[in-house]
Amino acid sequence: MGREVSESCLESLLTEIVSSYCNGFYANKPELAARRIEAIGFQVGHQLSERYTIDRQRFTDHLEAIKFICKDFWSELFKKQIDNLKTNHRGTFVLQDNRFRWLAHVSVDPSLDASGSIQDPSAMAENKASQATGMHLYFPCGIIRGALSNLGIPCAVSADISNLPACSFVVRIKA
Amino acid sequence: MIVCVAVVGHQNNPLYIQSFTEADDALKLHHIVHCSLDVVDERVNNPKKSGPTLNETFLGLLYPTENYKVYGYLTNTKVKFIMVTTDLDVRDADVRNFFRRFHAAYVDAVSNPFHVPGKKITSRTFAERVSTIVKSFGLNAAG
Repeated sequence: MGREVSESCLESLLTEIVSSYCNGFYANKPELAARRIEAIGFQVGHQLSERYTIDRQRFTDHLEAIKFICKDFWSELFKKQIDNLKTNHRGTFVLQDNRFRWLAHVSVDPSLDASGSIQDPSAMAENKASQATGMHLYFPCGIIRGALSNLGIPCAVSADISNLPACSFVVRIKA
Repeated sequence: MIVCVAVVGHQNNPLYIQSFTEADDALKLHHIVHCSLDVVDERVNNPKKSGPTLNETFLGLLYPTENYKVYGYLTNTKVKFIMVTTDLDVRDADVRNFFRRFHAAYVDAVSNPFHVPGKKITSRTFAERVSTIVKSFGLNAAG
């Protein structure tokens, strides 16, 4: 029995979460706001992974769990699969989504966008618009981290937005 | 009849344990559950070729004692479900079905935003749902 969630409601909620943490509670501490948003995502991912693995056999290795995230988990969340998965076989995985749903309606002022691509959400102090976009990515990062750690894989997840609305998530598994 | 069910977290921490007997033997049942955790570890680390399919969540009969049979189930998230029954001829399908419903109840309970992961499940709704599942166990077989 599938339950449906209004996409626009969810998107508005996410936008509101980000704006109230960044401009309200932790206006002067973006680091802290990012951590709080990531923690919310972590709990969501933790609970969702419990639910979505209910009819599955146990995973034998990390790759299988990552594939589950890319295919079934992503389909449940975004009605599409991850478009590209890369790995260096040493515990780093790059999950690329060519049209990430939660960024599909984010528009960036073209004059600001000309300043170049941004590599890491934490390293973009100069570009305010991209920084705001990056803030929206801590939540999905937390979801991925929560899901994987519930499956027994401790990891760190960061996001990369070089050309909207494509977006890639970098998963580094802790040895 | 099911006499005891338990949910055990991935660090072998008890999340929920409940016995369903009139007699005062909760301690004995808890002991049986405790012993079965080692069997679960053994099953997972040295899977037998002949046993249930590799990596299946349902682990089958863990071990029989004189009066009880102990069944186990291990989820993807390394949460163990243990069930102790006094029925000596139990159909595998019934047990599978039981664990499936038990797992679904557990998932709903931990999806509660007020539940703290890794802590005991105190939800009354969960307790009621589990006892309904326990009571309905084996009814189909008898009827």
